[in-house]
Amino acid sequence: MDPRTTTSKREEGRRTPPRGVSRRTFIKSAGILAGTVAAGPLLSACGAIGSSGGTSGPLKIGLLLPYSDIYAVLGESITDAMKMYFEGIGNEAGGRTIEIIAEDTQLKPDVGLEKARKLVEQDEVDLVAGVVSSGVAVGLRDYFHENKKLLIIANAGANVLTRAKKSPYIFRTSFSNWQPNWPLGGWAYENVAQKVFVSAPDYGAGHDMVSGFLNSFQAMGGEIVAEPQFTPFPQMGDPAPFITEIQQAKPDMVYCFYSGGAAVTFVKAYGEFGLTGDIPLVCAGFTVEEDVLPSEGDAALGAKSGLHWALQLDNPTNEAFTAAYKDKTGKDANVFAMQGYDTARVIAESLNAVEGNTSDVDQLIDAIEAVEFPSPRGTFKFDPATHNVINNVYIRDVQDVGGELHNVVIDDLGEFADPGDDSKG
Amino acid sequence: MTTNVARTARRNRWAIPGLVLALVAVPFLLGTFEVSLATTALIFAVFAMSLDLLVGYTGLVSLGHAAFFGFGGYVAAYTAIHLTGNLVVVLPVVAGATAVLAVVLGFLALRTSGIYFLMLTLAFGQMLFGLAVKWTPVTGGSDGLAGVPAPFVGIGPLSYVFAGRVRFYYLVVVAVLALGWFLVRVVRSPFGHALVGIKDNEERLASLGYDTWRYKMAAYVIAGVVAGLVGALFVFFNRHAAPENLFWVVSGEVLLMVIIGGAGTMYGPALGAVGVRLFESYVSSYTDRWQTLLGLLFVAFVLFAPGGIVGVVRRWRNRGRAPG
Amino acid sequence: MDQLLPQLVNGLVLGLLLFLIAAGFSLIFGLMDVINLAHGSFLLFGGYVGLSVIRATGNFWLAAAVVPLVTGAVGLLIEVTVLRRTYTRGHLIQVLLTLGLALIAADLMRWNWGAYVESVDAPAALAGLVDFGGVFQVPLYRLAIIGFGLVMAGALWVVLERTRLGAVVRAGVLDREMVAALGIDIDKVVAGVFALGTALAGLSGLLAAPVTSLYPGLDFDFLILALVVVVVGGMGSLKGAFWGALLVGMADVLGKAYFPEFSLFAIFLIMAIVLLVRPQGLFGTREAT
Repeated sequence: MDPRTTTSKREEGRRTPPRGVSRRTFIKSAGILAGTVAAGPLLSACGAIGSSGGTSGPLKIGLLLPYSDIYAVLGESITDAMKMYFEGIGNEAGGRTIEIIAEDTQLKPDVGLEKARKLVEQDEVDLVAGVVSSGVAVGLRDYFHENKKLLIIANAGANVLTRAKKSPYIFRTSFSNWQPNWPLGGWAYENVAQKVFVSAPDYGAGHDMVSGFLNSFQAMGGEIVAEPQFTPFPQMGDPAPFITEIQQAKPDMVYCFYSGGAAVTFVKAYGEFGLTGDIPLVCAGFTVEEDVLPSEGDAALGAKSGLHWALQLDNPTNEAFTAAYKDKTGKDANVFAMQGYDTARVIAESLNAVEGNTSDVDQLIDAIEAVEFPSPRGTFKFDPATHNVINNVYIRDVQDVGGELHNVVIDDLGEFADPGDDSKG
Repeated sequence: MTTNVARTARRNRWAIPGLVLALVAVPFLLGTFEVSLATTALIFAVFAMSLDLLVGYTGLVSLGHAAFFGFGGYVAAYTAIHLTGNLVVVLPVVAGATAVLAVVLGFLALRTSGIYFLMLTLAFGQMLFGLAVKWTPVTGGSDGLAGVPAPFVGIGPLSYVFAGRVRFYYLVVVAVLALGWFLVRVVRSPFGHALVGIKDNEERLASLGYDTWRYKMAAYVIAGVVAGLVGALFVFFNRHAAPENLFWVVSGEVLLMVIIGGAGTMYGPALGAVGVRLFESYVSSYTDRWQTLLGLLFVAFVLFAPGGIVGVVRRWRNRGRAPG
Repeated sequence: MDQLLPQLVNGLVLGLLLFLIAAGFSLIFGLMDVINLAHGSFLLFGGYVGLSVIRATGNFWLAAAVVPLVTGAVGLLIEVTVLRRTYTRGHLIQVLLTLGLALIAADLMRWNWGAYVESVDAPAALAGLVDFGGVFQVPLYRLAIIGFGLVMAGALWVVLERTRLGAVVRAGVLDREMVAALGIDIDKVVAGVFALGTALAGLSGLLAAPVTSLYPGLDFDFLILALVVVVVGGMGSLKGAFWGALLVGMADVLGKAYFPEFSLFAIFLIMAIVLLVRPQGLFGTREAT
């Protein structure tokens, strides 16, 4: 009887594998693999045209964005808006045709690095744009700085990238995590409450945002009712324990930062447990931005937020932008799309200024630093000291506007540039 | 007359030098992207070989081997950032720290076997992952440790920095050849044969007077230290230590590489690792469904060719020969 | 300490969700010695199928009826066609096979339902809050999960302890060959248990969706927790799955509330301790290897 048919509890895959392979077998196996290795680059070389940093041939722009996990909608929004802008100018800049190669960072720093290498070394892109997560951005910084490759950050607000770790090769068209929060802290103290409960995800951006808010809030005399609550990132799982903690702490106001899928989870639970309308929610604008508002529904009503843009901002560029975006995608624009739109314009304007010559990186850097144009957020310009954009900060309120929920601007706090150091949080 | 044996001996003499030559030639023949690919493929090759020592030779199926890989990486990152990136310091520190971890975990895990050992190693791996994600002051939390400087050897003006794609690649080639050679020597030694004996029938070996527990512990520590060392190389390559390197999916992937290559052969898992990495890199540019394809490939091997690529090549070579 | 009571309720919710997925997992292991690493995939698949049904019909209850049928059927199919081939080939092959299946399933689900985080609304009939003496409030939906979980636990217990089929299953967990030797078609029983397990997993995925949302990775997040539950509670024991799930659910929730630094670590520490001290689990009936 075949002993293998008895299912004894001690059985462990009882087969006797080859004990050591002879070199001949090894050579054969290796040969198969060597063939694959050689074939691979040959196959990909067949498609390679143009050189990196040239004056002719297509202008290759690498996009490093998350297309999966909680920030996927952010990646999609940025991509859609960038393509929309480029299409609007005939897909050409500096006399060269624009070609976009997009890669998914999966919100992981090491995957982001791998894809960055692919874009820069295999696809030979002229520059890279994108990056949503602060964690990924910080992981990429050394690669771009040491290899002298341009990275234009379309979202990731990690403060350190325009402070201690700033680089001539890294620009940011979006915001620093400090920017929307520091002004919000002072405003919240004066207009909402003086005692706050703080909640944010446990990663670089979460800590940055909290630090910016508390710096001004506490400077004015505000108090925190408990240690700041940092939730697991990227997935917090069931938000109940965290909401319950807030509920039982009975604060006068809650400050939070969440974005994408995490924002939906948190805000929905906030409503589910009855906190909406009971405890005022003050947050970094991303938490209730237009991308997540439809999913959050009434749970987000009355939430006040600070951000450098709003859907209903009243200026001609914004009106044109939001109409075109809605036309193209069927959805309302959001701050990430706006950032992508501006990023595309920055690339186009600077490429035009250098007449398409990307081989002289220093010249290109000067051109980028100098761009200034009307943007949906106001006037777009970089702070040359930090390579971070200077932003106007608005206070918005989630209201019912003709049957739909939107962020309505209720205050304009003026211009803010990132301090360039950690003095203000 | 030229016998089969003589012909085999002549071919065998060229295998290893041929391999070394091929590895050295890569940067000359292929572009920087391929060099990066080769670098990580080699790192994973040794990672897989270290797991093969446990799975294929000692019969200890671990689903937590990434714990050592990631831990070694974090130790290297921490040392390089806060102390020095001098390999003369970093590598022994990594080896030592990983050895201690392996002894502690091994002491507990080796009290079980089979499915319980599998689950315990999984649990340990996840515990370390949890630690990496939460102990932010030391590990950088879910963002990991960024800003790891390039490794170097030497002192002051006489130091040689392994910055740049190609230099680092050669460092990895040297390390991988050394560690690979070490592992092959281990499994060909009497110690290695004893391990196989333990895998086949531990009770019998114990009754022959072998302290099997010590042998298993030694295998566990060796496998852990080698994994930790290549984990350190991986972190130096990325200049970043991430908690994902400890996640159990990585343990699953390297187990996949061992099986596809052919457990219990050392060369097999190395080939399996290189093959899987290349597969991931090239197939992913053609289709988004590469993970499904890899999964199907894996399932096919598990069901029909559990001896892996090496097993398939062997069977093909032995076709037409009478069994036994 | 005034958050203790509501946090205990949260722990009960998670615990009972875990019970639904762990019950099947535990019985499958007890009966077949199979660690089904694809079990979490059934949970996520069930959630996604439910999402599609709700999107098409707006009816949560219809989804709740459809989902277990679909996931149970898929589970049955997999058991009969693929898994059955591996029973004589040892643990390693089975574990590897289910791992491969889990990877394939994860990718296919991502292909069909996207890589976003999908939020699902609780059914309208269960919306609203329940007030506990003004001290704290709990959403009705979560209480409904607790209720359903307890009913399910009761139903499973009755079947296992009071029916002939249940007796066969329990006997099979203890000594499979004996049951086969008695002339009972153990293969059918095994297939049935597997299908029931996957049906439960799928249903728990739908029930969990309004709580945790659906995203790629949820399958493995729950799988890992189910593994801990089964190890702690005991392989093949329904009672073990129940108490183990409550323990792990409480540990997870209380950990997040009081010791956020250690919550992840703590759960696996519990698992490791049990494996070392009492490998068959708290209520395990089988001998430790």
